Amino acid sequence: MAGASMKEIKLRVKSVQSTMQITKAMELVASSKLRRAKENAERCRPFFDILHQTLTDIALTNRDFSSPYLVRRPVQKSCFVVIAGDRGLAGGYNSNVFKLAASQMSGKEAVVLPIGKKAVEYFSRHGFKLLSTQYASVEAIDNADCSEIAQVLTKGYRRGDFDELFVIYTNFVSMLVQDPAAMEILPIHDVRSSQSGQNASGMILYEPSCEAVYNSIVPQYTAGILFCAVAESLASELGARRTAMESASKNAGEMIEDLNLRYNRARQGAITQEITEIVAGAEH
Amino acid sequence: MALFHLQIVTADGLFFDDEAESILVRTIDGDVCILARHIDYVTALGMGEARVTAGGTTRRAACMGGMLAVTGGQVRVVASTFEWKEDIDTERALNAQQRARNVLDSAAASDEEKQFAQAALERAEIRLRVAGQK
Repeated sequence: MAGASMKEIKLRVKSVQSTMQITKAMELVASSKLRRAKENAERCRPFFDILHQTLTDIALTNRDFSSPYLVRRPVQKSCFVVIAGDRGLAGGYNSNVFKLAASQMSGKEAVVLPIGKKAVEYFSRHGFKLLSTQYASVEAIDNADCSEIAQVLTKGYRRGDFDELFVIYTNFVSMLVQDPAAMEILPIHDVRSSQSGQNASGMILYEPSCEAVYNSIVPQYTAGILFCAVAESLASELGARRTAMESASKNAGEMIEDLNLRYNRARQGAITQEITEIVAGAEH
Repeated sequence: MALFHLQIVTADGLFFDDEAESILVRTIDGDVCILARHIDYVTALGMGEARVTAGGTTRRAACMGGMLAVTGGQVRVVASTFEWKEDIDTERALNAQQRARNVLDSAAASDEEKQFAQAALERAEIRLRVAGQK
């Protein structure tokens, strides 16, 4: 009886140990990749901020609505670019993104452009209309891919396939904190004037013309925003995975400790029982 | 000379964030030079050379794609590519130039490939021109 349970415990310890090896390895891989991803995301950040700031500044003073990118149409269809991870085992990273996406999409007729394998799987399983499924690897996305996506999206917007464009990604706040966020890319409009009612009187000079400028800028702006969002999301994914794997390894360590204690108790119990049996036999 | 605040940024980082005297860029419509106290202004960048004058010295750079915006006296250049003259990798540009010429000369290449090659060739030539100047 005691022998069988000792063997069982030993097997449990072994299986927990091999799991711990895997989680440890994943933690190490995530931390080494994280360093590069974090640098990337941080390099992108001033670009992201200034790009966004500039476009909203322009929108604030703009009085020229000859470009379709500046006009808010009645919304019939919305397009969402959702950036999630390629793999699971990253804590709540993927599900947080999908939760935010679901809350943003509720009540809207949505088309989705998923980026990352998990996003592709999730949205095809839930029966969403997908624009494309070819961006199934977040890690492999580069500048050229972003320009390509931006071309497709801006063309779709101009054609009237959808009337607003959002990107849903994860902000890399710190190693431990990652915030999913939704950002409206198109149409470019002033976020502040609707709240404050304060209108700047300035006029903007466009050269050669408002339309030409926006037609040239907007695809590049979209590509830039996407590129930065991907960089932020990738860093967030690795950060989330590292944290998740760290606590998984810690849990495994605790379990092994606990099981070892139980194993030793069972062994001691078996020995004591054996001695009692021998002593009892000798007394007779 | 009057100064203005200039920021130059690309996806690779912040290249300039300081007071400047003037900036000259190639827009889709030709060269434009911005001085202090310019009115609010937005234009899209073409491909070409940029010259930034600050503290009495002029630095040259290859600057391609993106936009230049003046808002409230603040000038921001958000470019797709921005490389200071001294950072340009001439060898890489030469290779790119050769590769692009090969594609343009080959009969097998599709129109789309040729378009890409033409753009790559232009980029390489601008880099070489900026890097080659004294």
